[in-house]
Amino acid sequence: MSQKRIINIFRYDPTTEEKGHYDRFEVAIADESKTTLLDVLFQIQKTEDSTIAFRYACRVSMCGSCGMVINGHEGLACKTIIGDIKAKEITLRPMNHFPIVKDLVVDMDPFFDKFKQALPYFDNPHTAGAPAIIRPDSKEREDIGLSTECIACGCCVSSCTMMYHHPEYLGPAALNRAFTLLADSRDGLYDQRLIRVMSSCYNCRLEFNCTDVCPKEISPTRAIKYIQRCALKEPFRKIDPRQPAVEVHPVIEEQAAGNPEFSRRRFLKRVTYGLGAATALALGGVLASATIGPSIRRTPKQWLRLGGLEAFAPGQVKTISVHYDVMDGFYKSQKIKPVMVYRGLDSNDLVVYNSRCTHLGCTVHWDDTKHIFLCACHGGAFDLNGDVKAGPPPRPLDKHNFKVADGNLYVEMS
Amino acid sequence: MEQETGIKYREPLTKGELDVQRWRNTQVGMWAWIWQRISAVAIIVFLGLHLTLTYKPVIQFLLLATVTFHAALGLRIILLDFNIVNVKYQKALIAGLVALGIVIFIIIWTRIY
Repeated sequence: MSQKRIINIFRYDPTTEEKGHYDRFEVAIADESKTTLLDVLFQIQKTEDSTIAFRYACRVSMCGSCGMVINGHEGLACKTIIGDIKAKEITLRPMNHFPIVKDLVVDMDPFFDKFKQALPYFDNPHTAGAPAIIRPDSKEREDIGLSTECIACGCCVSSCTMMYHHPEYLGPAALNRAFTLLADSRDGLYDQRLIRVMSSCYNCRLEFNCTDVCPKEISPTRAIKYIQRCALKEPFRKIDPRQPAVEVHPVIEEQAAGNPEFSRRRFLKRVTYGLGAATALALGGVLASATIGPSIRRTPKQWLRLGGLEAFAPGQVKTISVHYDVMDGFYKSQKIKPVMVYRGLDSNDLVVYNSRCTHLGCTVHWDDTKHIFLCACHGGAFDLNGDVKAGPPPRPLDKHNFKVADGNLYVEMS
Repeated sequence: MEQETGIKYREPLTKGELDVQRWRNTQVGMWAWIWQRISAVAIIVFLGLHLTLTYKPVIQFLLLATVTFHAALGLRIILLDFNIVNVKYQKALIAGLVALGIVIFIIIWTRIY
C-alpha cells in the first residue's frame, strides 16, 4: 500500500537567488518501513525535479556525506527511515553554520579547516618502530570508547549554537577527534594538540545538541569535558623528559587581528567589570548601612509614666522596672529597664538615674543600709548625687530626662 | 572555493532560520541551558527588588524559587564537568536535581512562613 508524504526541500540556486526558498513535493512511498530519506530524494530527482542537488556516497551511514537538517533535527538521509518520522510533512534543509553551495549541498571546507587545526592525526616523532599496544580492557581504551567512529558528517557542528556565537570555536567534531588522540598514551603530540584546543574547549555550553544528533551515537560533549579536565590538570602534569616541549602557537592568536569576535570579547569584559562593580557597590552599600546604620539612626523617644508623685517618699530611692516596646526594623522588641528615682528631702528635688553602670553596663542597685548605689560586677559605687565613690566607673551615673505633669512622674526612654 | 569556481555561496543558515520545526525538536539539554540563563537574569532582577523592597513575601518567594532552580541546574553542570556523574545521565540529572530543588524549596518555604 503506497502512502503519500509531503516533502519540503530547501532550494537555493546560486545563479538566481539570494536567500533560498522551500519547494513542496508530494511523493508516493511504497513501503515506508523500508524506504530511507535518501531513497525519497532519488525518487524526487528522477520523477519530479532533476535539478535538485544533494550529496551522498556510501548509502550505509559510513561516509557522512548526506548530513542535513531533517525536521529541525540533524541526521543522515541514508540512515533515516521514512516510517520513523511521525510528522506528516518532512522538511529538509541544509546544515547550519556552513556556506550553502546549492540546495542541500554545503561547503564543508570550514569544517575540515577546523578539523585540521586540532591536529587530527596520530603521530609520535619520539618513538621509532611499532607503537605500544593498548589493551582492549584498559581504562584508556574504555575512555576513548567509540569516539573514534566519527565519520565527519558535520551534524554536530550544525546543531551546536556556539558555532555561530564563537566563530573561532573548533566545534564538537574537531574536539572529539582531538580527545581520541589526547586520551591515547601512544600519541606524541599531546602538548601541541592541547594548546590548540585549550581555548576552544571552554566554548561548550553543555547544551548536548551534538550528543543528541550524532548519527554514530558519539557524545562530543563527553569529549569536550575530557579536554576541559586535561586543561585543568595541565599545570600539575609531569613533563616527560624524553619529549622536549615544542613551541606551538595557538592558531587562535594568529587569527586574532581584525576578528570581530575579539572586540565582542572586549565588550563583554567591560560589561562584566561594570556589573561586578555595580554588584559590589550594591552589596557594599547594604553592608555599610547595616554596620554603621544603628549607631547613627535616631531612635524615637517615648515618655513613660512611672507613677504618681505621692508614691515617691522624700529622702528615699525607689527602683522601678519600666516596660516598653521598641521597633527594630520590622521586629517589635519588648524592653524592661530598671530606673532609680531619688526624691530629695526637699520635695521638688527629683533625680531619675539610669541603672546601667557607667563602667561595663551591669545593673546598679540601691543599697539601703550603706546609702549607696552599688554595682555587683566590679564593685563600683555611686552616692546619692550619682558621683563615683569607689571602683572602676569612669563617670557618674547617667540620668534620664523626666517631667512632672498632673501629679505624675514621666521618664523619657529610648 | 568561492574564488576558484565563481559560484556565489549562500551565507550559512543559523539555528532555527527558515526552520519552523527547530524549536519543537529542541532537546531537554538545550532547554536546561536556556532556562538557566533566563533564571540567572531573573535572579539579578529579583535580588535588586529584594534589596530595595525588603521582606516582601512575593519577592522572597520568586527569589528563592529562581535561585533554587538555577542552583539545581548549576549542580548538574558541576557534576558533569568533573565527571562525578557520567554525561550519559545528563537528562536524568535535570529531572532529578530540579525535583530535589523543588523539595528543598518547599521545606525551606514552609519553615519560613
